[in-house]
Amino acid sequence: MSTLTRALAMLALAALLLGLLAAAVIAGSDHVDDTPLAIVFLVGVAFAWIATGLFAWQRRPANRVGALMTWTGFAWLLNAFVASNSAAVFTFAVLASNLYLAAFVHLLLAYPEGTLRRRLDRGLAAAVYALCAVGALPILLSGLPACERCPSSVIQLTDSTAAGNVGDVLTTVAAVVLAGTVIWVLAARWRAASRPQRRVLAPLLWSGIALVALVAATLTSQTVSGDQVPGILPLAGQLVFAAVPFVFLIGLLRGQLAQADAIGELLQRLGEASTGDLRGLLAEALHDPTLQLLYWVEDGWVKRDGRSADRPNHAYTPVELDGELVGAIIHDASLEPEALALVAAAAGLAMRGERLEAALRRSRARIVEAGLAERRRLERNLHDGAQQRLVALSLQMRIAQNQIAKNPERAAEMIGAAQEELTRALEELRELARGIHPAVLSDRGLQAAVEALAVRSPLPVKVVEVPGERLPEPIEAAAYFVIAEALTNVAKYAQANSATVAIRRVNGHACVEVRDDGVGGADPGRGSGLQGLADRVGALDGSLALDSPPGSGTTLRAEIPV
Amino acid sequence: MDCTVLIVDDHPSFRASARVLLESEGFNVIGEAVDGASAVSETCRLKPQLVLLDVQLPDIDGFDVAARITGRPDSPAVILVSSRDSSDFGPLVSRSGARGFVPKAELSGERVQELLV
Repeated sequence: MSTLTRALAMLALAALLLGLLAAAVIAGSDHVDDTPLAIVFLVGVAFAWIATGLFAWQRRPANRVGALMTWTGFAWLLNAFVASNSAAVFTFAVLASNLYLAAFVHLLLAYPEGTLRRRLDRGLAAAVYALCAVGALPILLSGLPACERCPSSVIQLTDSTAAGNVGDVLTTVAAVVLAGTVIWVLAARWRAASRPQRRVLAPLLWSGIALVALVAATLTSQTVSGDQVPGILPLAGQLVFAAVPFVFLIGLLRGQLAQADAIGELLQRLGEASTGDLRGLLAEALHDPTLQLLYWVEDGWVKRDGRSADRPNHAYTPVELDGELVGAIIHDASLEPEALALVAAAAGLAMRGERLEAALRRSRARIVEAGLAERRRLERNLHDGAQQRLVALSLQMRIAQNQIAKNPERAAEMIGAAQEELTRALEELRELARGIHPAVLSDRGLQAAVEALAVRSPLPVKVVEVPGERLPEPIEAAAYFVIAEALTNVAKYAQANSATVAIRRVNGHACVEVRDDGVGGADPGRGSGLQGLADRVGALDGSLALDSPPGSGTTLRAEIPV
Repeated sequence: MDCTVLIVDDHPSFRASARVLLESEGFNVIGEAVDGASAVSETCRLKPQLVLLDVQLPDIDGFDVAARITGRPDSPAVILVSSRDSSDFGPLVSRSGARGFVPKAELSGERVQELLV
């Protein structure tokens, strides 16, 4: 038995003992007329509240709604001691007889989270507690009669009924104002609530509003039950109060039955061949039209269309499949955790399918973006490189032309310089054209193109193996660019003495491997080059792997199905 | 002919060639600037009669620079240059406050004179 269960059992036992004591006090009372009815009503209602409270407490230990309901039940039970024949017990019971109302208002304001989050709510609850604590004082301090055969108050200061009447009017006015404020706050909360929140709020909120409205008119006459014949308003108020735990339980049960039904339906529909709209199905099962799904792809959250999303920052439930994070359900904060856990478990497989789609869309978008970036880079390189050289060349030729007659030697010099400029411009254009697509690859195949790459590399590169036969063009191109990027990275970062390149055909795959003897420790996230290669290889259903332990060189492998 | 000129371009090779070319054709090059911000400040400081202004600069582009340094009675004449063609820029050239546009490869004293008249 856990500590919590033990503590709750102790509370239940305390309620039982207090209830028996209350029943005995009522049974022996000389100022209560219908003792069996009073016992059943006072003790029965208290037990209903306390039992419901303990049940809710046990179910959600972190939420204080259960504790508040239990507290309200105990506070109600204090009413029974108004039946006591002892003047002292009678006096203090009358003083505490409105406490249950304050506890109930506290519960209403804190529902459903169980805490008073706003300053207004805390202030209002404190004011209601204060008023309920002093509400009975005008009767107890003055000569106003509590009831005909009641014991007299032990704190009576005066026989004057006038002072008592004035106090009574004041507390009634304060009570009506407070009741109005509470109703206003609760109504505002209802208006601001989402649909799922309203489903949770409805039972308690509406019975609360009804009770507070009834009490507003009759607070002061509530201070004594005893042998006074209660009017219709206080009686109605007490009946509403008595009904709250049952309404709460029925709401809980109905919610759970409806949820179980909806989840059963969800499981069945998820089992059918194609679901299409997983989000819609989950939204329907949880009755939350605002529900959204996010997918965990590589190391970030994405929406179904593949666009990146922010980390979920409010209520969400992670969805896992075989211990692997697949995605998350973003939902209304008031949804039942049990229902969410069931739905998340049921949705795992379908969500994994949608995650693959999202990952594919993201990769496609990246390929398009990489294409655009590549075009921007080419334009920039052309503009800053060859184009500038040709512009300068054009100006030099014009200057030389001006000089031919005046200074033929200077003109000859300038034409010589222009020749050099032209050579450099041609070299830049060649380099650029090769970057777009190497002609030697199309004309002579992978072996010749890779050997040309090896020759141009600033460090010794050994080409150990290349298939003799031609491969499909997209595969040759992908292999070529993997090797070109890898060799560029080796030259830039690896501090290597040499590198080897191999392309083998293994089990229907072209396996490209570039290995160096450098410092290792390459970061796969560095730059967009590797990601671009991974996308390029991924578009051919291939995969890219980087192995780079610090101090032991780097190996980049790509496997592309042929 | 003693027209004072400020050359604005981020490519040193163009600035050097343009200076030689214009000086050989009788212009007086009194300064150079490498970006939009220094173009504006050098124009205020040197008060050239002509600003030869590249469209593509590292900070603000040549159209914005032209808008800032033209429009007053004592403003210099601005001629935009680019290695691109004027058709790449559509109506931006005519709206910029510049006298006109010369492709860099066609720059000559004669083309500049035509636009200044």
